Amino acid sequence: MAKRITIDPITRIEGHLRIDVEVDNNVVSDAWASCTMWRGIEKILRGRDPRDAWLFTQRFCGVCTTVHAMASVRSVEDALKLEVPLNAQYIRNLILIAHALHDHIVHFYQLSALDWVDVLQIPKADPAAASRLAESLSPWTRNSKNELKAAQDRVKAVAASGQLGIFANGYWGHPAMKLSPEVNLLAFTHYVQALEYQRKALQVVGILGSKTPHIQNLTVGGVANAIDLDSQSALGMDKLEMIRSLLAEVVEFVQQVYFVDVCAVAAMYPDWFKIGSGVKNYLAVPDLPLDSRATEFDLPGGYIRNADLAGVKGFNTAADPVFRQSVTEDVVHAYYQGEKPLHPWNGETEPAFTGWQAEQKYSWVKAPRFNGEPMQVGPLAQVLIGYSQGHPLTKKYTNMAIEKVAAIGGVQATPAALHSTLGRHAARAIRACMLAELAQKHWQLLVDNISKGDYSVYNAPVLPSHEVQGVGTHEAPRGTLSHWVVIKDEKIKNYQAVVPSTWNASPRDQAGAHGPYEASLLHTPLARPEEPLEVLRTVHSFDPCMACACHAFDPAGRKIATAKIL
Amino acid sequence: MKSILIGGMGNVLLGDDALGPYVVHLLETQFTFEDGVQLEDLGTPALDLTHRIAGQHAVILVDCISTEAHPPGTVLEYDKTELLSVIPTQRLDPHSPAVSECLLAAEMLGNIPENVLLIGAVGERFDPGEPLSEAVLGAIDKIIGAVLGELWRLGVKVERKTSSSANATEWWAERLCVTTA
Repeated sequence: MAKRITIDPITRIEGHLRIDVEVDNNVVSDAWASCTMWRGIEKILRGRDPRDAWLFTQRFCGVCTTVHAMASVRSVEDALKLEVPLNAQYIRNLILIAHALHDHIVHFYQLSALDWVDVLQIPKADPAAASRLAESLSPWTRNSKNELKAAQDRVKAVAASGQLGIFANGYWGHPAMKLSPEVNLLAFTHYVQALEYQRKALQVVGILGSKTPHIQNLTVGGVANAIDLDSQSALGMDKLEMIRSLLAEVVEFVQQVYFVDVCAVAAMYPDWFKIGSGVKNYLAVPDLPLDSRATEFDLPGGYIRNADLAGVKGFNTAADPVFRQSVTEDVVHAYYQGEKPLHPWNGETEPAFTGWQAEQKYSWVKAPRFNGEPMQVGPLAQVLIGYSQGHPLTKKYTNMAIEKVAAIGGVQATPAALHSTLGRHAARAIRACMLAELAQKHWQLLVDNISKGDYSVYNAPVLPSHEVQGVGTHEAPRGTLSHWVVIKDEKIKNYQAVVPSTWNASPRDQAGAHGPYEASLLHTPLARPEEPLEVLRTVHSFDPCMACACHAFDPAGRKIATAKIL
Repeated sequence: MKSILIGGMGNVLLGDDALGPYVVHLLETQFTFEDGVQLEDLGTPALDLTHRIAGQHAVILVDCISTEAHPPGTVLEYDKTELLSVIPTQRLDPHSPAVSECLLAAEMLGNIPENVLLIGAVGERFDPGEPLSEAVLGAIDKIIGAVLGELWRLGVKVERKTSSSANATEWWAERLCVTTA
């Protein structure tokens, strides 16, 4: 008999992800992803000055404030055909890279590692043996017996208190947990260290952006960072040097710890290269522009249909004509009025709430489609699209990951194995290594350009009175983000944000096609359906993020998973 | 010099959720604080809150409260013990780690602030683009009093500014960009 399990972690008053799965004989037979809160924040922007929009859009979300600011200024620049000075491109790129490195590190360690790491095994580990194992995997200098023992003592102290504190929410002792006590200890030690290094990445965002969250240095047409090499109050050599040394530490952590840990987890859970694929259409936009007109990029974009890597199509610009024309949003299963899929420039956001109905409407997330098809976005999409186009940096780290997994576990993975739950984690670590290398490159590009005497940071925008349209894209940590703006009489006439998690968390469309989260859960075996750890593993591998930007404190903790017999 | 953070939490675009950032803005424009006190509009942070609070001597958070146990506008305070007693739930997305989880993380790391107080008012509406409700506006003086009371308890010097140079406005309700000829 089929059972339906609802995973609905009510930790805030609203605006979060809910997953429903139907389980038949301990295998997922159907799935629904839904967002429980309507935002409609875009409506606030109508009638405003388009040059102000980014200050509002970065308040959409509390985790990714930076990315919405960036996509917004780019959308207005696209509408105005406004070029951005080289210094501004490099400064923006450094902010985007630092933010993404922070985000990827936090995602792996703080938000998903404990799906694979059993904290309660840690007290049984031998720190000396764990240290020897670590030394065989990585040159990282903070894997000493003493540092590992200190981390173990933290866990022992929390466990001895009788309450699990921060660890009270895990499925400890679950039969799907497979790591040895030593590997669990090693991963946990890096979980603690990750808190330190992700903070260093954020400091880079703070130095360049003046504040984080909510950077203050953007402006339509460039950035507001005054460059003066001899001034302490402007962007000068002392601040640039501070950024360089912070980035160097983060780069080391990403390449020697994060990348290695992901490869080790992959080597020890090889079954998960076969689970969780789902939608095999992929979409990514090019990012990290290298010229003021944004025609060359350090990260490639394009799309792949139906896992056909050889048939990959590339995008030449950040808002490629194919991308501009091909995006629509479908609301057949979302709580909005409307019948036909609409292009974002003509997008409507009129609510029609019905309550959760499996066969009808069940989510506040619209279903974005590319040429009518669901697309998976995120680091996996970017890595597959780059790899298929022969992008050297993507190939370098993808091949390194394949070799590392083989060396640790004797598991021979192929790029095709990346269509999986583990593939999404591996691709994120590969992308983090690419970004780490590019962080240093773009720092050097900025310093070299300033050294030539170019201090320019801003081109003044001119708002036309006739109607213009623009799209601003950014390949954000969770995937392709696009802001679509229509400007008339110097004011915003329409504004729509198509965010990465809308692509991935989308509900079914008019053709009944599942969204990527939903499709990825089908056929997943569950050891204990009442403790759906396997569902969490796959959903977490996407790095889910609803537009949850409301923050009222809820004093009551609540249960998370309920199961009922259908 | 003791390091003390006064953080306003919430989304300024969503009605009463703007309470925290607005109160911090009011405190900044009306009072001067001794060195070591930082005031910050924290927005809607998730785990990033951990490293804003870790290592501080004291943290005062101002936030909107979601509960059906009290009417909108009721001012409530939660101390460290109460905040730590909220058991974290399994999380699906990175927004779920909330105040309590960040405190638990700081506790595990051994650098939880000695004093933690969350002060807030029960919210009435969280609709996009709406101003603060009358109920929540009516609670602001009491919240500011509670923040000042906690600072007094901590032995922190606060002085009211004789002339407030800046008016505390809700910037998110303004037109920001000024066209230059």
